[in-house]
Parts: sequence; C-alpha cells; structure tokens
Amino acid sequence: MKPPVFDYVAPRSVRETVDALGDPGRTAAVIAGGQSLLLEMHLWRRRPDLVVDVNRVAGLDGLGVDGGSLRVGALVRHAAFEAPQAVPGPLGTLFQQAVTNIAHPPIRARGTLVGSLAWAHPASEWCAVALALDADLTLRDSDGARQVPARDYFQGPHRTARRPRELITSVRFPLLSDDTGVAFIEHRRTHFCFATVAVSATLTVRDGVITGSRIGLVNASDRPVRALAAEQSLLGAEIADDLYHRAGRAAAEQDAAPVAEPFADPGYKRQAVAVLVGRALRRAAADQRSRAAGRTEGLR
Amino acid sequence: MSTWTRREDERLLSGRGRYVADIQVPGCLDAAFVRSRVAHGTLRDVDCAAARQVPGVVGAWSAADLHDLPPCAHATADLPDLPPMPHTVLANLSSDEAVAGREWPVLVKDRVRYPGEAVAVVLGEDRYRAEDGAAEVTVRIDPLPAVVTPEAALDDTVRLFEGLSNVALEGSTGQPVDESVWQHAAAVVEGRYRQALLLPTPMECRTLLAVPDGDRLTVWSGHQAPHRLRRELAAALGWPAERIRVVVPDTGGAFGSKSASFPEYVAVAFLAVRLGRPVRWIEDRLESMLVATRGRGQDQRVRLAADADGRLLAYELHIDADVGAYPHIGAGLPMQTAWMATGPYTTPRVHATLRSVLTNTMTTYPYRGPGRAEATMALERSMDTLADRLGIDPAELRRRNLIPPDRFPYETPTGRRYDSGNYAAALDLALESLGYDAWRAEQARRRADPHALPLGIGLSCYVERSGGEPGGLHEFGSLEVGEDGVITARCGAASSGQSHETVLPALVAASLGVDADRVRLVDGDTGEQADGVGSFASRTAQVSGALLSHLSALLADEARDRAAKLWDLPPETVRWSGGTVHGPHDGAPAMDLAALVRATGPLRVDDRFESAMAFPFGTHAAVAEVDPELGTVRVLRLVTVDDCGVVLDPAVVHAQAFGSAVQGLGQALYEGMCFDDDGVPVLTDGLLDYLLPTAAEVPPFVGRDTCTPSPATRLGAKGAGESGCIGTPAAVVNAVADALRPADRDVLQLPLTPERVWRAAR
Repeated sequence: MKPPVFDYVAPRSVRETVDALGDPGRTAAVIAGGQSLLLEMHLWRRRPDLVVDVNRVAGLDGLGVDGGSLRVGALVRHAAFEAPQAVPGPLGTLFQQAVTNIAHPPIRARGTLVGSLAWAHPASEWCAVALALDADLTLRDSDGARQVPARDYFQGPHRTARRPRELITSVRFPLLSDDTGVAFIEHRRTHFCFATVAVSATLTVRDGVITGSRIGLVNASDRPVRALAAEQSLLGAEIADDLYHRAGRAAAEQDAAPVAEPFADPGYKRQAVAVLVGRALRRAAADQRSRAAGRTEGLR
Repeated sequence: MSTWTRREDERLLSGRGRYVADIQVPGCLDAAFVRSRVAHGTLRDVDCAAARQVPGVVGAWSAADLHDLPPCAHATADLPDLPPMPHTVLANLSSDEAVAGREWPVLVKDRVRYPGEAVAVVLGEDRYRAEDGAAEVTVRIDPLPAVVTPEAALDDTVRLFEGLSNVALEGSTGQPVDESVWQHAAAVVEGRYRQALLLPTPMECRTLLAVPDGDRLTVWSGHQAPHRLRRELAAALGWPAERIRVVVPDTGGAFGSKSASFPEYVAVAFLAVRLGRPVRWIEDRLESMLVATRGRGQDQRVRLAADADGRLLAYELHIDADVGAYPHIGAGLPMQTAWMATGPYTTPRVHATLRSVLTNTMTTYPYRGPGRAEATMALERSMDTLADRLGIDPAELRRRNLIPPDRFPYETPTGRRYDSGNYAAALDLALESLGYDAWRAEQARRRADPHALPLGIGLSCYVERSGGEPGGLHEFGSLEVGEDGVITARCGAASSGQSHETVLPALVAASLGVDADRVRLVDGDTGEQADGVGSFASRTAQVSGALLSHLSALLADEARDRAAKLWDLPPETVRWSGGTVHGPHDGAPAMDLAALVRATGPLRVDDRFESAMAFPFGTHAAVAEVDPELGTVRVLRLVTVDDCGVVLDPAVVHAQAFGSAVQGLGQALYEGMCFDDDGVPVLTDGLLDYLLPTAAEVPPFVGRDTCTPSPATRLGAKGAGESGCIGTPAAVVNAVADALRPADRDVLQLPLTPERVWRAAR
C-alpha cells in the first residue's frame, strides 16, 4: 500500500494550477483534502505522474452568498457545513444534515465538498445534493472558464464532464426559499462506511399544495440520481401521508437503478430507496410545517 | 484484588510505544510479496527479471529461482532450499496425519491454493521500492476451479492436493444418540448455522524483523509465543534454537492470530540469513485482510431434544469446518467446539462429529474464543428455538438445565471436566442487571402496538475453557533479586496489549509483601528466558500468574534458608515478612532482600510450573430493536456477566470483557466477507469491505461479574478476555430472532446484515 513514484507541485494561483494540469505530457491529479485520492494512489488504482496540490492556491477557500445562490470554493472543507447557520435558510439545514453522514470528523476536517464532486463516487452525499438542487459547477483550464450544470456533469462512477486539464474552482447551489422543508436521511451498516442508500429531499408547499420537490438519491445507481418520477408524483398534490409512500415506490421502481454490492443486492437497495424517500419526505414536510409555524410566530 | 495504574499507559498514550516497525536497524531491507490474484491455479511461470532492474530493489525471487542466489559468504547461511512451513502439533489440536503430504510452501512452487498466496518476494531499500519491484514481477497462473465453502469442497470433485481428500481430519466426541431418544422426546428442534470466516483485525498487522549477526539471528516480532516462533524458525532454517533470539516489543493486538510462524516469516528469516542483512516484513492492512489467518468458519447442523418440562434429553452437533488451504492448528480447532458442545447444561447425551475441510481460502486459525464461540452459538441459538417451541420463557428453560453448583467437578458427555461454576448466579445477575422483566413488559406492549418497532431479548449462557490443553498448561520463569533490591520477574508470556507489565509485577509484589515499584517484568524475550510457552488461550493470569506466585514462595523460602545459614538458626525459625527476613523473636536480626543479596550473593529462583485447565462461564443478555422496513438492528442494551474466578485486576479484566463484547457484536452484526465468482474475497477497499464496529456502534453496556474461584489453579483465577466473543454474538442473534419471530430461524445467519434481517422480517 505504497503509491508508485509521482511528482508533486504546489502552485500558488489558479493560473499556475491550470497550467500544470494542462501539461499534455503528464497524467495529473488535483489534491485538495486527499481523502479519496491518496487511498486510490496507495491502492495503485490511480497512478498520476503529477500531483497538483491546490491547498496553497489563493482564492479557492471562499464560502458565501451572492445573487440568491451559495458559492462554495474548491478548498471549503466538509466540516464548514456542520453548523446549520453556515448557510442561510433551509439549504443550511439540508447541508448540515448531509455533512454529518460523511465519514468521521478527521476526514471532514480535510476533505472538501468540491473534491467530492470531482471524485464522483456513487455513494457521495454531496453529488446527489448537487444534482437534486441543480447546482452549477465552474470549471477552469488555461483557456478560460465554463459553467456545467450538475445534470450534465455526472456521467458514471467516478466519471464526469470535467476534462483532465480542468480545475473545478467552485460550485453554486441555489438557495432554498423559506417555504421549503428539507431532510437528508442516510442508511449505512456502520458509522464508518459508505451509504447503502441515502436520500436528499426538499418539499415546497404553498397553501397546503406541493408546488415543488427535489429528491436526490445516493448510491441508488452507478451515479447520483435525481428522482424525477417520485418528484412528479408529488407535484400539485395536497399534503397527505400516503403520498410519501407512493413517491418512495416511484423512486425505487422508476428512478433507481441499483448496482449489487456485497451484502446489499439490488432488490434490497430498491426497498431501502422506497423506505428512505418516504421517510425523508415525511421529515421534509414536518420541517416545512415547523418553518411555517416559526414564520407565523415571527409575525406576531 | 486491586486495580493498579497501568505502567504501559504513559508510554503508549504519549506515542512512545516501540513496535517492530519503529525499530531502526541500519541497512535494513523491506520485503514485499507478489501475491496470487486467483484462489486456485497451476503456477506456470514467475519472472522477476524486470523487478531486479527497479532502482532500490536489492533482490527478487520466486520459489523456482531462489537457488540462483549468489552463495552467501557466511558458512551458516548454507541452507537447503526454502523449507516447507513447519506445522505445530499443539496439544493434540492438530495431527501429523492431517498435514502429511499437504505441506505449506513459503512461496508457491506449483499450485496456488488460496488468494494472495505468495509467489515471489522482493527486497527493497524501503517498502516503497520493494512494492515498485513487486509490481514488475510477471506471474502466469492457469486458474483451476476454486472451492471456498466446506459444502463445495466436501465431495472432492476439486481437490487441493492431488490424490488426497479435501477432508483433512474427522473427529467426534461423546456417544451417538439412540434414535429412540429423538422419537420419544416431547420436542426436538433442528438448526443449521453458518459461522462466517472472520478476520482477527489487530490494530498492528503482522510484523517480523530478522537481524543476522555472525552465526546468530535476532528476530523482532509482534507475537504471542516467542519461544514457539524461535523453535519453528530454527526448524525451518535447520539451526539449533539457541542461535535464534526472538524479542517481542510493544505489540498492537493479536487476538490469536500471532502465535505461530507464517510463510512470510520464514521467507524473511531465510533471506536475512542468506544475504547477511537485516530484513523486515511489515504487513499492511490489505495484505492482512487477504492473507492473515481467519477465525471461525463452521457449517453446523444441530438437533436438540427435551421433555415436555423443557429438560434437555439429547444434543447432537455436526460440524463441517472450513480450515483453509493448508491444514494447520485450525484443522484441529473444530475439536474444541466438539469438546465444549455440552455447554453449561446437564444434557445427559451429547454427541458431536466433525470434518475439517480444506478450501481455497487462507488458513483458519485461532481467533479470540476459538472453538468455544462456535459451540456457544450453536447451542444457545438452539435453546431459544426450543424455548419458543415449548412455550417456556428462555431464561426459565436455561435455569431448569444449568449444571448446579454442587455437581462440580462436572464430567461432560463430551469429555470435559469443568472445575467449578455457579451458572445460575451468573444468569440471575444478568437478568437483574438487564431489567429482564421490564423489557419483557415493554416487548408485550410493543407487540400490541402495530406502529411500534419490534423488540427482542436475547440470552446466551456459556462456559468456555482457558489455560490451554494438556501438554500446554505449564509455563517457565524466574525471579531474581539484584543488589539494589530490585526484583526482576521473567516468564514465557508475551503481551500483545494485556497489561502484563502492570499486573504481573504487582502480583509478585503482593505475593512477597513488597512495593510494586520494586518489581519489574521481562517477558517476550527468549534471550532473557530460555524456555517459554506464551500468551494465548487466556492463559497468562491463570498459568503465568500462578507460576510467579509459586516463584515468589520459592524466593521467600530461599531467602529464609540463606538467612538461617547466615545467622546459624534453624530455617523454620526464620520469618519472611514485607520483603525482609526476621529472626525468631523481638530484637533478633532482620535483613531486607537487598542486604541479604549483598551478604550472600546473587539470589535467583527458576522453575517450570504446571497449571490446569479452567472453565470460565457467564451469561450475556441483549435487547435489540429492529426496523423491519430496512432490516437495521439497534442494540438498546448489552449486559455481560462473566466469571473468571479470582480476578487479579478488575480494571484489566473489565476492559477485556468490554473489548471482547464489542468484537462479539461485530461478529453478530457486521463482520463477514463476500467472495467473487472466482472465489476471491471482495476486500479491495480494505475495512470498507469488512466492517468492524466503531465507537459509534457500541450500545449502552453493563459489564458485571461473579466470582467462583477455580479449585484447579493456584490463584483461583480462570482466563479472562475472550468472554465477549464467546457469549455476546448468540445473545444478539437471539434478541433479533425474538424480535422478529421468523418461521424459519435459520434465515438469520451471521453477520445479521440489514438485507438478511429485512428478508427475515418479510
């Protein structure tokens, strides 16, 4: 478990970084938190001949809101989201609920949200959240920058629209409106391991009618899944308990495409998707109600 | 007795522990092994040429080209070809017959028999370079069909050894049960239990550093039995044992997995001698998971009969054990299960039969609670099935059958002689500590509420064996007093984390009546202690502790004899008290040990002390809540009541009980490996593929104990430390079964993954 030989550079600017990544003679890998990359290198599954360390690059650690969206720079660690107030509104609650499922504190202190998107593991919490919320990634190479919406970004296990010469400098998440309830629920065998299945859910309710829902499925396919059939089953409906059950079945049967894993065959994973989607929606609805009650409280 | 501050803690907690990998030896080479990716196959070709060109690689060898090594200048390095793995006939737990014709090569010669079996070894200036070299070795293996379960291997359609059956050993204990007993019994229950292969998973994987010096070799290894390692390496090298010194530095756990020599050890010692250079092998986690020993691995079939009142009439256990690719101690371990099949009950007829079956998996070997854990699981699961069948409360069913205290020593139908016990007391304390009746009431409430999550209560009464088997129940040691009055205790034990350094000196000090800080321990070093047996089978307190207590008495006698001569008094008039010899009356001369040594010369007592087997016991109880939609199990409470006789240090014993209970929880719920279609275990992501319980999985835990001294051992102590691996798994499984009450309880096989529990709940 020792990596093969590689070179290492630690640039100070985005320009230097993308120049290093753009060297056509080399297989480069970006290291930020290194929590996945280093393991893969130790296992000889990834053998970059150049490791580009972005930890000293200025301007990549920004986390802030502008123009109705949250911008997360490439060096923002998972741990930044452990406090719900790190991000305003329901989005902060969703992030906080999601992030506590990522590995354990030492990993969250080093690993980054953008790194998770770059790595694109099918069981990544952030990837499903980004897909469900229509996040927008900014990718930069030596010729300039481009925006890639999350729905075009994920292409398979560890496969994305990012070109090898590109650095993901940041990702934007639209903020969630105050009439949106959120929930993130994960099911895994121990606190140490990857999700068997997890679900990110939002539910927007106006006058007792569901006007929007965004459901992301973690590890329910070879890539993150947005559960469009489940969302569709909810739209325009009045809030009712059996809705969530029905949406869960739709997610399991129409949206999920589970891959067999040790101790979790596709049949079991579909069951877990159905159950978790139902529970996440129920919890999102409760969250939405308590937010509405809080607003009423505030008006008095 | 009392709780002492651990002497090890300051060093270990401040990062100053010294493990084999921390030992710096100039010019030391690191070994990396090239391993088979297939489970079973014919080795066609190994080419190490490219590896030898890698910068920093010092050498690379397959079994075929080892004779190409340049002759070693040293006369003692004139060795035969790579020796086969020595097998250990330990206390009748293996047999020559099982091993004959099935030797374990250090490097594969012609046939690969388990995934990860070493086909070549590369030495580099460090591990990075050695691995770079290993990556350049090309290996051609023609795959053969792999058999990875006893069921698949039993019929011998695929043989691991040409002309020899895959069944390495057959055995039985007790008498066959007459068919009429089963026919006339009020209730007969049957069960089939698969005891999964488990990984012992010590924090520190296996390590060995071999440093040649002239015609001698010093070996540093994280190890449980340095004298055994010395003996086996000497046999492999064709050396007298005296030329090898084995030293055990700080060791990060073993759980049974570090008590012999293994192919890698022999290769490293051999090459160190050949090259006249220090060589080490520091096993990494992935290697360990692939090729370190496995525990358990039994397919069990049981029948249990009782009368209408629940009195047990007969018990029958058949074991097809998966013992891995080469018969080693693991081939004999199912006998331990057979011998312990009677458990804590008065069952008059018990018959156990077994077959040890070779499979294309790494060798099975002792893992914390070996043999006894499997025996407890089979019997205790069956007891719950029987309770359910008869409509008798599981606690009550057990109580009716426990061997009563006045029946000890108790001869079991399976050939064990239990030394002492008060099994009902342990059961009662467990029920009380759990709040058994309150949980039963909560269970009734939930069963009446369709929205409540099902809840179950599981019990497991166990009896196990500690100390070892006849032939291995002794230990060697000495006590020596210096002119400064410091007492040095030496013995054949070797700590892999069991607080020897604290407990054994304190025991000597208490025996002699001196301050504990006057006594120091030297163990785990064959250079300091000529003979030794080691630390396994929960034997150190029971056997080495008894030895040191015995030596303390010898030392006091010797001191009194010397004082008597010095003072010209009859020896029986000299008293020993508080580390000082006193004359017969007030005002008579008195002399402390240091002064006595200065006056009479070096004082040292040596001996071999024979102990006896002991039979610790207890009751474990678990409450589990099941989410039937997801199949998740939440253990709401775990209670362990253990009785290891006289406890030397409660803190140490309780920590062992807790740690082993958590390992037992892992066995019940998490630990297990899957195999791919070619028979290779899926472990490529390390501990993400083989889940251990983490701190976050530890349930609310209550650990208690009862004390029934052993009449068979000098201190009244029995072994402690394996209890949780033995008692806890069945308690957890029984709790889940009690929650779900599936029509077929056999669907609940270990580990109880969410998927399995969900299917059982449907």
